[in-house]
Amino acid sequence: MSVERTVTIVPEAGLHARPAAAFVEAVNDYEAEVTAGQPGDDLVQAGSMIAVTSLGVGEGDELRLVADGPDAEAVLDELEDILTTPEEELSA
Amino acid sequence: MADRTFHGTGATPRSGLGTVVWYDPEVTLPDPEDVTVDGDTESEQFAAAVETARAELEAERAATADRVGEDEAAVFDAHIQFLEDPTIEDAVETGIADGLPAANAVDDAFGEHIEQFEGMDGRMAERADDLRDVRDRLLRVLTDGERVNLGQVPEGSVVLAERLTPSDTAQLDPDTVAGFATVTGGRTSHAAIFAGSLALPAVVGVGDALDDVAEGTEVVVDGDDGTLLVGPDEDEREAAAADTGVAVVDEAVETTDGHHVEVAANVGRPEELSAAADRGADGVGLFRTEFLFLDRESPPSEDEQYEAVCEALDTFSDGRVVVRTLDIGGDKRIPYLDLPEEENPFLGERGIRRSLDPDSDLFATQLRALMRAAADGAGELNVMFPLVATVEELEAALDAVDSAAADLDDRGVAYETPSLGVMIETPSAVFVADELAARVDFLSIGTNDLTQYVMAADRENERVGDLHDPVHPGVLRAIRHTVERAHAEDAWVGMCGEMAGDPDLTELLVGLGLDELSMSAVTTPEVKTEVSQTEYSTASERADRARHAATRSAAQSTIRDT
Repeated sequence: MSVERTVTIVPEAGLHARPAAAFVEAVNDYEAEVTAGQPGDDLVQAGSMIAVTSLGVGEGDELRLVADGPDAEAVLDELEDILTTPEEELSA
Repeated sequence: MADRTFHGTGATPRSGLGTVVWYDPEVTLPDPEDVTVDGDTESEQFAAAVETARAELEAERAATADRVGEDEAAVFDAHIQFLEDPTIEDAVETGIADGLPAANAVDDAFGEHIEQFEGMDGRMAERADDLRDVRDRLLRVLTDGERVNLGQVPEGSVVLAERLTPSDTAQLDPDTVAGFATVTGGRTSHAAIFAGSLALPAVVGVGDALDDVAEGTEVVVDGDDGTLLVGPDEDEREAAAADTGVAVVDEAVETTDGHHVEVAANVGRPEELSAAADRGADGVGLFRTEFLFLDRESPPSEDEQYEAVCEALDTFSDGRVVVRTLDIGGDKRIPYLDLPEEENPFLGERGIRRSLDPDSDLFATQLRALMRAAADGAGELNVMFPLVATVEELEAALDAVDSAAADLDDRGVAYETPSLGVMIETPSAVFVADELAARVDFLSIGTNDLTQYVMAADRENERVGDLHDPVHPGVLRAIRHTVERAHAEDAWVGMCGEMAGDPDLTELLVGLGLDELSMSAVTTPEVKTEVSQTEYSTASERADRARHAATRSAAQSTIRDT
């Protein structure tokens, strides 16, 4: 049973560099398959830094997240947290 | 004279003498036709290489956080994620299964994505550099890394390279390296900013000619002139060897006869703030706000600007931070602002001229952010307007400050009106300096533009480079006129052009009556030392002689050799 959520990106760098690194690291920490993409677009593998970076998601854009697996809810909670925390408060 | 001189862009006004060590991260790939490949062995080697690369990245991350700062270190987090990307892993395994050696499979797997990012704009294109950096690291580990270990070059080395990435500079020890020069890169390249924050002699963007310099050659890196001297003569060697820098002076300084002069730093990016504090700057005499507007698709929000200014004020909690409102136009372009094509951009719509009309909304947002920061930040905020030519422009800018205050009142947000000032860059502003000074708290002379406009000599045009020298009596008289008129109105006067950072001119500027000198952080220790060795009364007499001179050479001859 997959769950999904749409989140508006807060970090000013968008989904690049530090926020992207934190995002991908979190995805790979959980027992869940996660895909991501802008609403209406194809979804890509969220555990791939290259795939996530090439989405080109910027500050204020929406990102749709779909998770499947035992940790599906937990991973989405953490990803939402990362995507809605201003970059300067994101601990490395 | 040196045997040969190469020209590039100086990254720091410092010189260093040393012996060339070439740094070449490129590796030679095996020819897949020539090697027999055992898939399992190659897979194991790849997995081990990823492991080694990851350990290196973690170590370099820690070293960079420690030596430069947490912001600079964050790039390594991204590199670790690129390194462990499952897409890459799958592509490498497929390559190995198809009979490729691990190194060739890695090269192919990254190559496709590097090309993809290279084809994109701005920020995305920079990711190609990250991927290249990660690929080169893996290839080096796989091919048994014959590259120079930058962390262990002999003392007194001058490192030459095609370019230096964050991974490379993280290994450089500023205490042993005498300097570096690169083929590519400009003033804002990673390598140049890194050199600036560590006051390391460096020249970037020398071009392919740099390849002619042989390993082991003695060279001088002159970051002031932007030159690399191969086979320097005795004088050039001595001059560079003597430029070891002076000790950082943290305290405020005064002349031998007790006249205080503030020595501040020019800051163009947030990461330069801590470097400025480390170099002993009393405060920030020019905080450029353009960085907030560059490399993005839309203007920054009020909150974002507020945060950036608070960061500066908190770094200099006992000092003064002078923020210049947005200064675009001229040579500074911002895509989303739709700047007009102009015949003479330096004589066109730039600085306060844009802020008052087409960009008045941006200006209002910026003023609100500044006034909120003035209330909340620790240091003392001052705000100045660039390229003012008339009293009308200043009065319109002051009206905008009043409107911003009214908006903040309506919103019930805490704010303070900062001390306000005007930049003196146009001849008109010099002539009406008394009228301007009567309306504000301070004036700040921008000597790069003032010299360009007083002398009618384009600062970028080398053919009129001789005219572009602030020691011409015409410019010296403009400076003194400004100081006299401002002091008569109880306004203080600062200077924030390149002239302020030249230690050879410190006595002259103190003598002309400047209350504050603001410069690239690199030379603040030298200028502070000069101020404390200057006698104010003697400096005033010399400065009078300099500005009354008829010619540049006569003015120059009054300047004491330092």
